[in-house]
Amino acid sequence: MKLQALGALINVELKKLIRHPVNLFMNLLFPALLTIVFMFTFSDPELGMSINSVVPGLVVYAVIFLIMTVAQSFSSERKLLKRLKTTPMTSTEFIGSQIISNMITAIVQVVIVLVLAYLLGFKPESGFEGILLALPVTAIFALSSVGLGLITATISKNPEMGVGLSFLFILPQMFLGTFMPLTSSTQEIAKFVPSHYLFDALKSIFEGNWMNTNFFFDLVIISAVSVLIVIIGIVLFEKYGNT
Amino acid sequence: MQAREIAPPKIKIQSPNPNVKCLTCKKKERNISRCVTCLTSDVNNLLKGLNRKELLEIADLKKINIPNNWSKQLIMQLLSLNITLDDIPTNKTKPVKTKKISDGAPIIVIKDLVKKFDDITAVNNLNLEIGEGELFSLLGPNGAGKTTTVNILTGIIQPTKGNAIIAGFDVTKNSSDVKKLIGVCPQEAAVFSFLNARENIELFGNLHSLSKKEIKERTERFLELLDLADASGRKAGSYSGGMLRKLNLIMALINDPKIAFLDEPTVGMDARARRKTWEFIGSLKGEKKTIILTTHYIEEAEALSDRVGIIDYGKLIEVGTPQELMEKYEAKNLEQVFLNITGRRILEGI
Repeated sequence: MKLQALGALINVELKKLIRHPVNLFMNLLFPALLTIVFMFTFSDPELGMSINSVVPGLVVYAVIFLIMTVAQSFSSERKLLKRLKTTPMTSTEFIGSQIISNMITAIVQVVIVLVLAYLLGFKPESGFEGILLALPVTAIFALSSVGLGLITATISKNPEMGVGLSFLFILPQMFLGTFMPLTSSTQEIAKFVPSHYLFDALKSIFEGNWMNTNFFFDLVIISAVSVLIVIIGIVLFEKYGNT
Repeated sequence: MQAREIAPPKIKIQSPNPNVKCLTCKKKERNISRCVTCLTSDVNNLLKGLNRKELLEIADLKKINIPNNWSKQLIMQLLSLNITLDDIPTNKTKPVKTKKISDGAPIIVIKDLVKKFDDITAVNNLNLEIGEGELFSLLGPNGAGKTTTVNILTGIIQPTKGNAIIAGFDVTKNSSDVKKLIGVCPQEAAVFSFLNARENIELFGNLHSLSKKEIKERTERFLELLDLADASGRKAGSYSGGMLRKLNLIMALINDPKIAFLDEPTVGMDARARRKTWEFIGSLKGEKKTIILTTHYIEEAEALSDRVGIIDYGKLIEVGTPQELMEKYEAKNLEQVFLNITGRRILEGI
């Protein structure tokens, strides 16, 4: 792998994050808006949702919306991908750049959500070290969003279809894997949703008891599932999506 | 004797001899940097029309854009001995590290190439050899199989049958070696709309592992040559179709490729921009690059090509120099050649 090529591709992806209106809104402004709205409207103990459970959910929301931007971006840049294939760039460099840039984006999202939540009254029990721990855990989970985005792009004929289909993966994770109240049967289904484990892990971190809970189990599940999904995404997109 | 790599002069040099003729098109041409009639940029070709005194005078002008390692004194000495630029070897060409290409051998060999998309045969048993330093045009109507052929040669798609060898490398088995040698200008402008021209070019330079200095120098030169320097700081998304085409072309050539595939590079350009781009492509001939140009513009193929391959329904139906083809089919131009062979006009499509 050539670092020069990898660095150049990451640079392009990060510029896209800032300069492309859809990416800027979905990846940076949307999490900020969501945080403000949810902190005001849903963090009410009477609704069964405390600030401590809302904030991990907001982080999860931000990261699962990466599925949409990855799907949209891969579906709309097929011509460019085709062109990049005529250069000495390898698949490893290209996919590596996507993974790294999306991990960086996820970290920025966590920071945005936590800073805003802090300003609106969120005080994590874990202190600063908990926040530091939340960053890599969320970045690992971002891999699954890249993978699901690639799977969505594979079956999408155009960017619009990519955005629409991405909700197939976003909605279940939003409703089953975060702070939404679940029945006993949906709780069982939630165990098959990756975001459930990120939510659980972040909750443990922010409550300051991650050493005494299922945190490490959650981390293993998050890592294994994310790696598996991203591998499936890469294989499917390479085989069927890049035409 | 091999044609030598001479970068075309950046400025026009008027010959002191008003009777100098371009040896390619035989038109009188006092501008020795490039024949404005046939776009020949072969300096030596035009120098041949000058006597010894005039050659010395030109050398003395020191305006010919000669390789850096040639001193003015050396040029004068060589010219005074009646040794022309063709006779002088140059080391300006970047050596190909992977494999040496034997002198005189074709750089591209296409054998029994077939590409089918379901029941449509896009490329039908194509056989062709293209020599090093040649500007070869694939001429044919839309849908004739030109782009599919280029896509196979550049490793974007795999052939159904047959194979192609580029500089000794099989395009399907050794595509990574092939990619180091080629530059591809796709038919549709493929650029990052949120990056400016410089950033787009820089990305491709980095993907080809060029040094920062190389990227900067080449970017400046190409932007200047194609009149894109003023707009180079603007996002490509705000460019006109013609500007995007130019950027598309620069991105293909930033790695100084040994072989350049230019797929309809001037489609959508206005007449002035097209003319400028032709001049630019013509100047690449002087740098001894092999260029494969696909086009359905007759004038483009006639003005630029050493040889033309006429392709229709995926089949290569005729190959030759524009002159040979016109003589063979008693035609005034290549459009008429195509008409005589197929009974249709190129721009009618299929």
